[in-house]
Parts: sequence; structure tokens; C-alpha cells
Amino acid sequence: MIRLRGVTKAYTRGGEELVVLDRLDLDMEEGGFFALMGPSGSGKTTLLNLIGGLDHCDAGQIVVDGEDIARMNGPELAAWRAEKVGFVFQGFNLIPVLTAQENVELPLLLTNLSRRERHEHARLALELVGLDDRRGHRPSQLSGGQEQRVAIARAFVTDPKMILADEPTGDLDRKSADDVLSLLVRLNREFGKTILMVTHDAQAAERARAIVHMEKGGTLGRIERREPQPAKV
Amino acid sequence: MVPLRLVTKNLAKHKLRFALTVCSLAIAIFLLCVLRSLVVALNAGVAAASANRVIVQSKVSLFVYLPQSYGPKLDMVQGVESIVRWNWFGGYYQDPSNFFAQFATDGKELFEVYPELEIVDGSAEDFLRDRKACLVGEETALKYGKKVGDTFPIIGTIFARLDGQPWDFQIAGIYRPKKATLDSTTLFFHYEFLEKSLESGATTGPGGVGIFVLKLAPGVDPVAVMSEVDAMFENGPQVVQATTEAEFQAQFVSMVGNVPMFVSSIGGGVMLAILLAALNTMLMSAREQTRDVGVLKALGFTDGSVFGILLAQGLVLCGTGGVLGILLAKISEPGMTRMLSSMFPGYQVTGGTVMEAAGATLAIGLLSGIAPALRARGLSVINALRAVR
Repeated sequence: MIRLRGVTKAYTRGGEELVVLDRLDLDMEEGGFFALMGPSGSGKTTLLNLIGGLDHCDAGQIVVDGEDIARMNGPELAAWRAEKVGFVFQGFNLIPVLTAQENVELPLLLTNLSRRERHEHARLALELVGLDDRRGHRPSQLSGGQEQRVAIARAFVTDPKMILADEPTGDLDRKSADDVLSLLVRLNREFGKTILMVTHDAQAAERARAIVHMEKGGTLGRIERREPQPAKV
Repeated sequence: MVPLRLVTKNLAKHKLRFALTVCSLAIAIFLLCVLRSLVVALNAGVAAASANRVIVQSKVSLFVYLPQSYGPKLDMVQGVESIVRWNWFGGYYQDPSNFFAQFATDGKELFEVYPELEIVDGSAEDFLRDRKACLVGEETALKYGKKVGDTFPIIGTIFARLDGQPWDFQIAGIYRPKKATLDSTTLFFHYEFLEKSLESGATTGPGGVGIFVLKLAPGVDPVAVMSEVDAMFENGPQVVQATTEAEFQAQFVSMVGNVPMFVSSIGGGVMLAILLAALNTMLMSAREQTRDVGVLKALGFTDGSVFGILLAQGLVLCGTGGVLGILLAKISEPGMTRMLSSMFPGYQVTGGTVMEAAGATLAIGLLSGIAPALRARGLSVINALRAVR
């Protein structure tokens, strides 16, 4: 489902070119749960941003679900993201002035659903993450774990094929982190979503079906296929 | 796709800031309406001027009197149907602060030359019958609580009575002008009354005529009449200047300085100041929403959508203030009309003024929203998501 060939990305900082990804080749199958691990500066988040169509690579090919997104322009990428990808960020990134229900409804505004249908879809998504009773709460009225669960509901409410999570448990305590990871596992197993998760947390990575190790300099290390472990609380 | 709920909620996030900005905008738009209405009131006479009236005054100044003997000569000019004398009286009622316009004029001819003068109480016949009678504009009558049959004592300044007493005019009629060529604050009395007082020595003051107003017969070319009048008195004793009523009104407005220009400049300054205030509010608000812009773009909203969200915020913010300002101007209109009746008779917030205020509101909304909207549109998702909330 995800096929990267010769993907290169470099940034210029202080007049110097810094290669973050260096001719990277990688294949990830549909329906997988991948944890991206590696030291800081190994290009994990950059890779996630490129696969999610948030950034453009300097060279190479990124084919996701049969489409080469490296060739897409801004509006095409925006439409593609709306349809194919759900994002979960470390800092939750909910819109602070909107309620949980409104935050989850936000991506549905880009669909053809009626107002009533949007409302119902968002309600079901919140129910699935166990926050049906917090629909009218604003982010500031929720705990960190609850905020991240709302963010997960927002990520899958449009039924995308792929969910990209950048350090989704980075700001959470162990219990909340396990709740969030359990949700991601459930989305992967029960709903067949392809999950790609950047993490520094070895315990979090244990919940994935494969761990992609990145190395300093933006090259690919080993890929560890494994049987996911249940949560340890 | 612009989520309107997000637009309104972002504006309402800082309620005090929103309220203060809206109040500033409302006051500015209210001021714009008032200033514009003052200009409209000043120019109302010019706009409504009659094409078949010619004003004859001294070429030196409006304050230089013309000889009485000019009247019969002007009456003989081809095309002149009627002629009326006007003399500025310059008195006041009880106290100098109670000032309004009074004119000595020819009673019968006044109605012929100014058909727009409508008697709403009393009668023209009563006015013509009594040499001491006067006509009072309904605004002045209302302001001083005067009605038909009352005496209106006016203390003369240019034409002061030697016995030190006021001029006691009997109110024979209350009038309302049907056009802005006249206002509803003036008092008209008989020229003959002034003339006899001067002749008898009971009053001091100049004996000439302020202006002659000529009413032309239908189809007569005013330019030809004006040329003939100017040529007739070219060699004096007092050189005259004949103008159309519109020119005369415009000249009268310019006598108090270029008030329209002055007032418009103030209005422009107010608009510029409020534009900067609205722009500052919008830029602050947009900076706070940088991360939200990144989230929206990541979710699939296009650059155009986020541009629309920010622009809509500017429009809603300014629109709210603008609507309140216009409403305030309309609600205060009757009070302002009464308050400004002596200086700016005919003050009213016209449909044109409302449209101009709405246009200014729209312009401020667009200008204050476009800078943050362009910034948001140009932000990359990655950079926007890195912003500190």
C-alpha cells in the first residue's frame, strides 16, 4: 500500500544543507500497524509528513494506495489527505474554541454528508472512543488522554484507509497512553486501518505489528516483524 | 468550505477584545454617518436649487446692500416673472444663544417665487393682511413653543430699535418647506414693516436690499437673464453679480470655509484609525490561530478555505460594528436633527449615507481581514503546526 523509492528530503539550516532522508526505499503493506523508531534527527517525523502529504520530498517516489503523491499539487494533496489520511499529533491539536463533537465533525465538512449525518457520524466516533458523555466539552475541559481520544475520533471519522500518528502517547501518562494505543490497535484489527506511528517509547512500539528502525542520516535500518504484545499496566 | 461556526467561535474567544473592537467600529461608523449627514445638510440647498430662480447680489460681498431703485429695473428685464427682496435681519429671541435666521421679505411675492413654502398652520392671507405678521418655520416654532397668534419678540442687532425694545412679530403662519431650498427654522416678516420703521426713525440700520431673487418665466434661459442683469448695473452705483440659485447656495456654503472638505477629512481620518485598530485585532487573532490553520490544512482544508475563514472573521467583526454604528445613527437621527437645527437645518441620515457607511464597513472588513488571510493561506502545514499556541 505504501511504496517509497529513492525518497530524499533535505533542509537548509544556517546556510548548510541537512539531509534528513537519503534515497530511502520502503514498502509497507495495507492493514499493517507500523511503529517508526529511531534516534532524534533520523527523519521519522519527516517520513511521516511525506507519507501523509503534509510535505513534499526533494526526489523520489511516494506511492500510497496506487497514487504517487509526490507529484500532486497543493489542492490535490489537500483533497487526498481529506479522503485517505487521518492524523493524530503528539500535542493533540484540537481546535480550542470548538467542542469535542465539533472538533470531530470538522473533517466531515469536507464530505457530502448532511448536517444531521455529520452530527451522527461524529457522535458514533466519540462513542467508539468512550467519550460520548464529553461531546459538549471543549478541549480545555478534558484531560490529556481524553483530548487524544477525541483526536483519534477526528482521525477516523471520515473512514480513511490510513492513520498517521506522531508520538501519540508522548504527552500522556502510562494509563492514558495504553488507552490510546489500545484504540489504535482496535482501529487496526477491527476496522482494518493501516497505522503508522512515530514513537520513542519502546512499550508503545511493542503494540505494533512491525517496527521500522530509522538510523541517523535518514537511512533505513532493520524492519522487525513481530506479534503485538498486550498492554502492560 | 468555510466552517462558519469556527469563524464566530474564534471571534468570541476573546469576548472583551471582540466587544471593544466592535464598539470602536460602531462609534467610528456612527461618526461617519453624522459627518456625512452634515455635509449632505450643507449641500442640500445646492442639490435642490431651482433652475428658474436667479439671485442678484452686490459683486463686492453679500454683506453690501443694493439700492432699492434696482428693484423696478430688475422687474423690467425680459423673462423675469416675479421679484422678491430679502434682507438678513440677524436678531435673536431673548438671549443671543437663541439664534436663528430671520429675513425681511416681500410677503405676496415670497409665495410666488417660492411655491415650495407650505403653510401647515395659520394662513398666507393672515400673513399678508397684517404688516407686523410673520411666518415661522415649524422647527423653530416647536423649539420655542410658539404657535399661531403668539407674539414672537426678536431683538434686532443690525436693525436695533431706538427704544431698546424687541420687534414684536405676530405669528400668522407656521410653514414647512417642501424642498431643501428653504429650511424649517427661518422667520419671515414683511419688508414693508422694516422699511417703515427705518423711515420713521424708530430703527437704525442700512436701508438697502440684501439680495433680489428673480423668478424666471418657463423656458427662459437664466444665462441670458444673468448677463443682462450684470450688464445693466456695470457702471454702478453698485455693481451686481447675478447667479443661479445653485451657485448662490454653493457660494453660501463656501462662505463658512470648505466645511464639506474639512468634515470629509475628519471622516477619512476616523476611518483610517479604525482600519488600523481592526487590522491590529485581526492580526493578533490570526497569529493565535496559526496552529489551528495547520490542523485545518492537515485535515484537508485548502489554502483557499483557510483564507476564507480569516477573511470572514474580519468581515463579521467589522460588519457587527458597522451595523451597530448605522443603527445608532438612525436611532439618534431625530435628536440630532433637533440639536443641530440652527447650524445644520435639514440634517438627516439619508439612504445614500447608509450605503456609504455600509461600503466603508465592507472596505474595512476586507482590508483588515485580507492581510491575516493571505498570511494563513501562505503558511505551510508543517510550519503552522510548529507554532506555539
